[in-house]
Amino acid sequence: MSAASEAVTASSMRTREATVRRFALTDTIFRSATRLSAILVLVILGGVAISLFAGSWQALSKFGFSFLTTEAWNPVTENFGALAPIYGTLVTSAIAILIAVPIGIGIAVFLTELCPRPLRRPIGIAVELLAGIPSIIYGIWGLFVFAPFLQTTIQPFIIWVFKGIPGLNSLFAGPPYGIGLLTSSLILAIMVLPFITSITKDVFDTVPAVLKESAYGIGCTTWEVTRRVVIPYTRVGIMGGVMLGLGRALGETMAVTFVIGNAHRISASLFAPGTTISATIANEFTEADGELYTSSLVALGLILFIITFVILAIARYMLLRIDRRAGA
Amino acid sequence: MSTALSLHRSRKRKNGVMMALCVVAAGIGLAWLALILGALIYKGLSGVSLAVFTQMTPPPGDAGGLLNAIYGSIVMTIIGIVVGTPIGVLAGTYMAEYGRFSRLTTIVRFINDILLSAPSIIVGLFVYELLVRPMGHFSAIAGAVALSILVIPVVVRTTEDMLNLVPNALREAGTAIGAPRWVVIRSVAYRAAMSGIVTGILLAIARISGETAPLLFTALNNQFWSSNLNAPMASLPVTIFQFALSPYEEWQQLAWTGALIITLTVLGLSIFARSLTGRREDR
Amino acid sequence: MKPMLSTDLNVADTTVEKAKIEVKNLNFYYGQSKALKDINLSLPERSVTAFIGPSGCGKSTLLRVLNRIYELYPKQTAEGQVLLDGKNILDRSQDLNLLRTKIGMVFQKPTPFPMSIYENIAFGVRLYEKISKAEMDSRVESALKRAALWNEVKDKLNASGQSLSGGQQQRLCIARTVAVKPEVILLDEPASALDPLSTAKIEELIDELQADYTIVIVTHNMQQAARVSRQTAFMYLGELVEFDRTEKIFTSPREKRTQDYITGRFG
Repeated sequence: MSAASEAVTASSMRTREATVRRFALTDTIFRSATRLSAILVLVILGGVAISLFAGSWQALSKFGFSFLTTEAWNPVTENFGALAPIYGTLVTSAIAILIAVPIGIGIAVFLTELCPRPLRRPIGIAVELLAGIPSIIYGIWGLFVFAPFLQTTIQPFIIWVFKGIPGLNSLFAGPPYGIGLLTSSLILAIMVLPFITSITKDVFDTVPAVLKESAYGIGCTTWEVTRRVVIPYTRVGIMGGVMLGLGRALGETMAVTFVIGNAHRISASLFAPGTTISATIANEFTEADGELYTSSLVALGLILFIITFVILAIARYMLLRIDRRAGA
Repeated sequence: MSTALSLHRSRKRKNGVMMALCVVAAGIGLAWLALILGALIYKGLSGVSLAVFTQMTPPPGDAGGLLNAIYGSIVMTIIGIVVGTPIGVLAGTYMAEYGRFSRLTTIVRFINDILLSAPSIIVGLFVYELLVRPMGHFSAIAGAVALSILVIPVVVRTTEDMLNLVPNALREAGTAIGAPRWVVIRSVAYRAAMSGIVTGILLAIARISGETAPLLFTALNNQFWSSNLNAPMASLPVTIFQFALSPYEEWQQLAWTGALIITLTVLGLSIFARSLTGRREDR
Repeated sequence: MKPMLSTDLNVADTTVEKAKIEVKNLNFYYGQSKALKDINLSLPERSVTAFIGPSGCGKSTLLRVLNRIYELYPKQTAEGQVLLDGKNILDRSQDLNLLRTKIGMVFQKPTPFPMSIYENIAFGVRLYEKISKAEMDSRVESALKRAALWNEVKDKLNASGQSLSGGQQQRLCIARTVAVKPEVILLDEPASALDPLSTAKIEELIDELQADYTIVIVTHNMQQAARVSRQTAFMYLGELVEFDRTEKIFTSPREKRTQDYITGRFG
């Protein structure tokens, strides 16, 4: 019996056409469901922006632009200003990045150039696992282990060293509380290190082997190849990774809340307690009584949202550029 | 000749110094991990007992356990995953399949990547404005919704990436046999990308099971056993936060033990997730 | 073996046979660039037609127009007519899934679905037919026999399709295509990723299948075209240069470009 003689008969052709219509309907439904879900991602971000804006309207309309420039934060007199948390957020994040970037790049160089092959993957995974540890763990560790250690050993030493140096002595003025801006910065540095490391490692891997080989071929040392070929080639990608780490540091809440001290003031000393936007919200939101207080906290959230959105958008744009080059 | 030689020597020396610094950097990175895990195990392990898993969170100064907090975490994590995963998978499917070449996909990918690293406390504020304020009270539902919003970007990202790895030839083959697009996606693309998508979901579970900030003012906390989704519910991270900052030694000990439980859960999930796709990454 | 015909036929004669597919004034575009230029040809029923030509000549593109698989991608457009049994399949009203049940396709690289051998075949059948388990068993068996694979896999039908060797995978794909009872089978360089032994098996299979199906094969291997096809189309730079009986193309081509190509002067 040949296949042609058992070929599709007229009646089965009709059932096929019915099937085809059913398929088309299901496909339309499924397609719409996926499309709606994709749009929902946009709606969520839009919803975040709108709700933060609506929630902070009361505070913003009362304080206006001075909300950004006022240091006061007084729930009793209902006078709120965001300057201290903004200062704390920016300073802790900046110091964290300054510490984490060289170390992160160093680890990336180690992993791509120096590490014995069999160790590469385990160490790479270990660094990425650091990224997965919940921030509250860093917080509790910072509060109970790291801060007391700093308070009893490192901080008194630094205070003693810089005592006689004008400028620096106010930057590192005592007393050593253990908690404060510098401790928060260090914890943040540890937290963003894995992000910076793994992205830097990834972009290092995009450097064409021939490029490195030709540099080695003219007698360059490993450091010279890294400094003159790898880093310039991947500069945009590294910057993207740094920005991504900065975005994390700016928005990080729990680790900082434990060790910042929650003091609404701007101090010259890095050892002094301070606060950040996210720590203020975490500490005070549930206890805030009065619409204006809550609204001011939401306004802080809006400021944080805008800052991180801009930073993360820049980060993604830079990483996109290096992706495109790697793809081309 | 001798200057060339000395130049060579100084270059070598510089290389040695820089490379040594890189090794030191790697040492620092690994030492941190070891220090944190060491402290966690040291402080947390001493509090591990059956009571932790069978008793409720105690009033100040009393002995007790973390049962209601563990239960709350599990419940809210499950709801968060159940709500967030389908949305994430569908959105990722649109981006890799139906809308692969569309403008919408480019925009969604960009926004999703931003959501992926957006501060989770912002999500908490959003859900507060969205649910808690209109409802008039904190609730487990609000907490679960906040967690699901954190799940979505993780799942979207991995689903899209994994579906993009499915060879087009396989899609063409499915299409060439007369299968409509949704059947090709369901029976061919999803199957081929299954392990990667599951990895993404596991990583999402790992991420939300340790999240504290979005729960602080959505699910709040609850000292007592509660399975009412419409009422405040305890969770492990929020309980740790509250107990660690308290002056009571019993509470601090429970906080350490809770931290150890969370960390082991998260690390276990991440390692398991990686082992699912590990072979592929090796290439 | 390929049936030998005593008389030397030319283009005019091939069109006398009943045409299964007629291509008329077909142009094809990738975005702005024109990949196929005014193609006209007619594929006779139940015989093997080969498309040959250097890479980039449009032979695969032409094949992909015949079941409109190109529609998966944006900015690819075809204009003109492709008539299947006299009906224009480029018409907007043509249902694509239905079209593809009539015109099956096998690809360059084997593409077993990520499921068992049995399911690989049952998958396509189940889409349009509701049949009992017993009927399905016999459908799977006859398809695998048709693709000369049954003896090698009958004891491991539940094994993954991807566990088979490359040649076996490709025969599985042929079995899968045959199982849904198409009228036309398109083969896009089906043996280019296979070893010589597997290639020989595939060619043997093609020869057997032409008793029941209209077969179109794209190949860059001229010997293969000569071995398996009854008529051959030579394409170059998006144009159909010459279409004739295979013997004619390989022994006395009318066009100089055809001659240059088959004698290995370019491509």
